Amino acid sequence: MLELLSFGPNGWGGQLLMGTAMTVAVAVSAFAFGILVGSLGASAKLSHSLALNVVADVYTTIVRGIPELLVIYLLFFGGSGVATSIASAFGYDGRVDLNAFTIGVLAVGLISGAYSTEVIRGAVQSVPFGQIEAARACGMSRWLILRRVLVPQTLRFALPGLGNVWQLTLKDTALVSVTALAELMRITHLAAGATRQPFLFYSTAAVLYLMLTTISTALFNRAEISANRGVRRA
Amino acid sequence: MHRHPPVSDSAPAAVAVEDLHKRFGELEVLKGVSLTAREGDVITLIGSSGSGKSTLLRCINMLEIPDDGRVVIGGESIALKKTRGGASVPADSRQVERIRTRLGMVFQSFNLWTHMTILQNVIEAPVHVLGVPKAEAVDRARMLLDKVGILAKADSYPVQLSGGQQQRAAIARALAMQPKVMLFDEPTSALDPELVGEVLRVIRQLADEGNTMILVTHEMGFAREVASKVVFLHQGRIEEEGSPDKVLTNPDSDRVRQFLSRHLSGAA
Repeated sequence: MLELLSFGPNGWGGQLLMGTAMTVAVAVSAFAFGILVGSLGASAKLSHSLALNVVADVYTTIVRGIPELLVIYLLFFGGSGVATSIASAFGYDGRVDLNAFTIGVLAVGLISGAYSTEVIRGAVQSVPFGQIEAARACGMSRWLILRRVLVPQTLRFALPGLGNVWQLTLKDTALVSVTALAELMRITHLAAGATRQPFLFYSTAAVLYLMLTTISTALFNRAEISANRGVRRA
Repeated sequence: MHRHPPVSDSAPAAVAVEDLHKRFGELEVLKGVSLTAREGDVITLIGSSGSGKSTLLRCINMLEIPDDGRVVIGGESIALKKTRGGASVPADSRQVERIRTRLGMVFQSFNLWTHMTILQNVIEAPVHVLGVPKAEAVDRARMLLDKVGILAKADSYPVQLSGGQQQRAAIARALAMQPKVMLFDEPTSALDPELVGEVLRVIRQLADEGNTMILVTHEMGFAREVASKVVFLHQGRIEEEGSPDKVLTNPDSDRVRQFLSRHLSGAA
C-alpha cells in the first residue's frame, strides 16, 4: 500500500511533492501580498483622513465577515471580469484571463491582508511615541523615521501576530483547491479518488501540512528572538 | 560653589523666541513668551508643573508648533503657516529638519531607540541625517560615551542600562550631532534619587565647557550653580527672569518667593 506514496511509476510521491511546493508558493506569495495590503490597510486606519478610515474599515469588515471560500469563489468567477473592465478602462480591448495561481494568491492574500491590517495597526500603536519624537528631534525626515525607527520597532511588535496570520494563510491555501489549482489539497483529493485509499492520502496530507506549519513556527520563533534583542534582558 | 560667568549682552543670539502663544484645545499654555539665549548662555526654566516651561522648550525645536509668535535659531526664523482649519504648521518641513540638527534634545524619559545598541543610538543621526562616514561617527561616538562615562556599555542595549546610564547615553546621542544649543527637558525627573548626581555632573561639565543650553529643571540648587540666567514661568507667562542670585535669592515676585520656599526647604 505504501507503494502508492513512492516516487515510482505507480506512486503519487512526485505529485504530492509538487503539490506541496505549489502550496508553499501560493502561501508565501499570498502572505507577502497580504503584508503589503495589511501595511496599506494599517496606514489607512491610522491616517487622519476619514475617507481612508472608512475604506479600510469596509475592507476588513467584509473580508473578515464572509466565509473565506466565498471570497475565493467571488474572485474566481468575478476576478477576470473585473480585470477585463479595468484593462478596457486603460484602452485594452481583449479579455484578461487570470490564471488559477493568480486568483488563489489574490484571494488568500486579501484574506491574509485583512488580518495583517489589524496586527500591523496594533504594532504601530505599540511603538513608544517618545522614540519617534527623539528621531524628529535629531532632524530625521518622515521617511527616515519610518525606515530606521518605526518599521523595525513595528516588526518586533507585529511578529507574534504575523506568525499566526502566516499559519492561517498556509491553511487557507487548501481552499484554493476548488479552482483546480494543483496544490497539495487538490493532488491529495485526486489521488484519494483514483486509488480508493482516501484515508491514506488525507493522513499523508495532514502530515505534510503539519511539517510545513511546524517548520515555519520554528522559523518565526527564531525571528522573534532576534527581533527582541534589547527588549528582554539577555 | 562656582557660578556661571555672566554672558555679555552683545553675544549673538543662539535662540530667540518672540511673543510665543500655544494652545492645547481650550487651554492656553503659553500666553506670549519672549526669551533670548545668547551664545554661551545656560538658561534654566523653572516654575510649577503646568506653567508651560516644557511646552516652551518643545516649541524651540518645533516638537510643538506654536500658534503665534516667532522662533529664531541662530538668526534664521522658522517659517510657519496656517492650514485652512486654522492650525499652525511649518511652512517647510526641510527647514525644520535642518534646524533640528543644530538643536540637541534630551528628554525626561531618555527615549533611546530600544532596537539599537548604545553605540548605534549615538551614530544613527550623524550617519543617516548628516551623512558623516560611519568610521568617523563611531570614533566620535566612542569619545562621547567615554566623556559621559559609559564607554563600557557601547554594545549594550538600552534596557540593560540603569536610568542614569540611559540618560547619559541620550546626552551623548544629542552631542553627537555637534549641536549649537542643547535643550534639556527635566533630564533628572524620571531618575531614582541616587542616580540624579551622575547625570547632573555631565550637564555641569557641558555648562563649564561653554555650551549654550536651555534646561527645564526642578533641581533648584543645580539651577543656581550652572545657570547664567534663570527664568520663572507662571501660567504661561514669564513672571521673573534674571541672574540666579537675583531670582533664586532675592526675587521681586511674591509668586517666585512662594515657589522657592516650597522647593528650597531642606536644600542646601
